[in-house]
Amino acid sequence: MFSQYFGQYLLTEKYLTDEQLKIALEYQQSVRLKLGVLAINAGYMNSQQANQVHQMQSKVDKRFGELAVEAGYIKEEQIEELLSSQKFGHLLLAQALIDKNYMSLEKFEQAIYEYKKKYNISEGQFELLQSDDVDEIINVYVNLEDEKYEIEVKQYISLFMRNLIRFIDPEIYTKKITKFEEFKTKCVVSQKIKNSINFMTYINAEQDVFLKIASRYAEEELAIVDEMAKDSVGEFLNLNNGLYLVGMSNKGVELDMEPQSVCFEKKIGSAYVLPIELPFGKMELIISTI
Amino acid sequence: MIENFLKILVCDDSMLIRKKLKEVLKSCGCNNILEAANGQEAIDIYKESKPDLVFMDIIMPLKNGIEAVYEIIEFDKDAKVVMASSAGTKEHVKQAIKAGAFEFVQKPWEKEQINKIILNIK
Repeated sequence: MFSQYFGQYLLTEKYLTDEQLKIALEYQQSVRLKLGVLAINAGYMNSQQANQVHQMQSKVDKRFGELAVEAGYIKEEQIEELLSSQKFGHLLLAQALIDKNYMSLEKFEQAIYEYKKKYNISEGQFELLQSDDVDEIINVYVNLEDEKYEIEVKQYISLFMRNLIRFIDPEIYTKKITKFEEFKTKCVVSQKIKNSINFMTYINAEQDVFLKIASRYAEEELAIVDEMAKDSVGEFLNLNNGLYLVGMSNKGVELDMEPQSVCFEKKIGSAYVLPIELPFGKMELIISTI
Repeated sequence: MIENFLKILVCDDSMLIRKKLKEVLKSCGCNNILEAANGQEAIDIYKESKPDLVFMDIIMPLKNGIEAVYEIIEFDKDAKVVMASSAGTKEHVKQAIKAGAFEFVQKPWEKEQINKIILNIK
């Protein structure tokens, strides 16, 4: 995930062309190893345990390592060891760029330096970013300085990204969040979270992307944006929001929510719009704090 | 196989969830399944068909799951209702148990959880 952000930076700063980045990211993806595979390879877990943890992951908002430790399948220090070998996805990206002569070592060094400076990233933060820590990624890239509910909105976005990774596609990244006074939607599902904090939440996308999200969540190929497709995306939003409520409840904040609804081609008043790039297109997560 | 004779009511406003839950129940041997899309429909169907078990969502239009459980238990104090919701907050779990539900399942559920509930009903 972090390498996507770093890759976008290289693109924006004209270190690379679109095509070069695409090839390098594909290469990086092909060599990156998942934690479950690393754990089996190291003999710390068997495949049945890894599959059980993957199943648990679809139910609770926890990382693979956390769940595996809780289930007693693996020790904390073994996870640490595996994580350190999983890190540095962006280095695989860099390796691909250098191997393919898209970039020199010096250029890479300069890019990393400029990148940390631009986003004011400390060494500690850089460590977290490299291990694809979603909370830290959202913290660094999503700027909500003047928002009263900055912490709650960021927590919401982080959870949403984790659920997108889990249920829809692991290769996603956010673009710049923008506050719109009016935003015209295409295919949209919405749901209100209410009580002491009030959010309107929306998933918006063009029809083809909406259909793909619906198909991925329903685990079946849906051909048209019909009631089932709308229901599927709505249920994904409902699941995410339900898990947000559970997380807040565990922190002592009891929230509630209303049933989700579908409304296409609608104008939304003052709201944050977060574009999210998926391998098959772009969607927007829209949040309006009321 | 007693599960073949169990009559089960699935109440959820999501047709996807109803479809998935029905598939899981069928794979557990339960084929007598009724469906409701909101709390009011669930109450009406319960009164008419008296199912052996109800899976009830919470956040639904027209009448929510907690209100529906109160009315179902008022009609039949022995009704067996399982709440199945993504919004398993402390408050919702407390309300569901107070209303008379005997179990709370956090969505997304797994087949094994549903199977275990069916086995316990038998």
